[in-house]
Amino acid sequence: MDENTQSDANNDELILQQQRQIEKEISETTPLVSDKQTISTLNSEYNDDAVYCSKVKNLAEKYISLRKTRPDGNCFFRAFAYGYLEYLVKNKDDYEKFRDLVQKAKDKLVKQGFPELTLEDFHDTFMDVIDRVAPSENNEENLQELHKLFNEQGYSDYIVVFLRLMTSGQLQEEADFFFNFIEGDCTIQEFCHQEVEPMYKESDHIHIIAICKALNANVRVEYMDRADGDKVMAHDFPEVNKPNVFLLYRPGHYDILYPK
Amino acid sequence: MSNVSNSAVRALNLEYKSLQDEPVEGFRVKLCNDDNLFEWEVAIFGPPDTLYQGGYFKAHMKFPPDYPYSPPSIRFLTKVWHPNNGDLCISILHPPVDDPQSGERIEERWNPTQNVRTILLSVISLLNEPNTYSPANVDASVMYRKWRDSQGKDNEYPNIIRKQALAGKLDAEKEGIVVPLTLEDYCIKPKSKPTNQEMALELTDFYDEDYDLDTDDDNQESGESDYGNGDDSGNGET
Repeated sequence: MDENTQSDANNDELILQQQRQIEKEISETTPLVSDKQTISTLNSEYNDDAVYCSKVKNLAEKYISLRKTRPDGNCFFRAFAYGYLEYLVKNKDDYEKFRDLVQKAKDKLVKQGFPELTLEDFHDTFMDVIDRVAPSENNEENLQELHKLFNEQGYSDYIVVFLRLMTSGQLQEEADFFFNFIEGDCTIQEFCHQEVEPMYKESDHIHIIAICKALNANVRVEYMDRADGDKVMAHDFPEVNKPNVFLLYRPGHYDILYPK
Repeated sequence: MSNVSNSAVRALNLEYKSLQDEPVEGFRVKLCNDDNLFEWEVAIFGPPDTLYQGGYFKAHMKFPPDYPYSPPSIRFLTKVWHPNNGDLCISILHPPVDDPQSGERIEERWNPTQNVRTILLSVISLLNEPNTYSPANVDASVMYRKWRDSQGKDNEYPNIIRKQALAGKLDAEKEGIVVPLTLEDYCIKPKSKPTNQEMALELTDFYDEDYDLDTDDDNQESGESDYGNGDDSGNGET
């Protein structure tokens, strides 16, 4: 190995070290999914920035509270899973359909070529969580259990992994359709290996569309950025249905919203 | 952080147990130290009907605290003359970071369903089919290409490898290990159901490679010595 490669290797090592340090700080200060907070808590993040403050005000007209998720690149999947399960716990019929879809997802993914041994472990964990929050007389307890499980890294991250795999499975199943929505000259399969399956990779519209389709979910995303205007922009996935999961998007990050 | 490691311990336990119950063709794994799941010693048998036939290669695998979300690293302890051996450049073993310079095929990034089995199978494929786009050992890469491009006439590369395989075999004998030489012995028959379709597929791919082993075998046995005295260390000393 020549000198250049040597120093490159050292740099890589340093970058990794620093990255781990940052991740450690974030994980010590930010829960995976927070308790509910009022919408106005967002103001404190924007130091009187006029555009953001007017948008926070607009958001507060439609939503009563939010839960923040840890910004670790998995925020969309974690927020989506939490929000959707909160809805499902209170809607038995949809819960049953959802449980059935997840139950069947394993064999489908094995057929698509994922290694069964490890896939099974992620699947079992996800099913375990789904069963532990099954709708019952006492939904308050279920919701507490849900919150607890989503803040245990072992469970929480396994759920994220399985949702990523289901997203990948859906994209590959409909590769001809989704191919039109990816940039650059890579195949859907390459895109999945690169942007969907690995942990910590951020999600985009294409991920949202695919997982909504795979799990029969309807998501409304409220977009809040520094663009002109004083209102947040809502977008529904898919557009025709009444949403049952509400997410706040600020550039690079998703949190969970609760409508009035 | 303790939770993070719990996932790792759990995943490693599961994989270690499954590899004991149902070993993979051509491999043996054990822990370097019984109370540390994060460092494994693996022994790789050279696949029959390849340059590596009869060889016995040892490597260390090290798993990060956030395994299986990040990949392990693997390092050969035995000399292996190979274009991708420094730290073996298996692209799935790179964390999934954006690196447009790397020239890797992007479809081979790490995801958490990959595991020791899939890695070891990648190692076997890579042994026989080096990736010359990102060589860690440039000399070996040049030599490999000469061999390949000369249709086997320039046989410096296969000679070195056969010599190392032979040396590995001696190591194995010292340890009382018999290296499987035929495909039949090499492929362990699955005890239970043949669950690992994808594995069978990969091995089929692997044996489909159209290496023209017979042609260079002829010259090889007799004309051995030219390379015998050179430095055939394959570990890309740094």
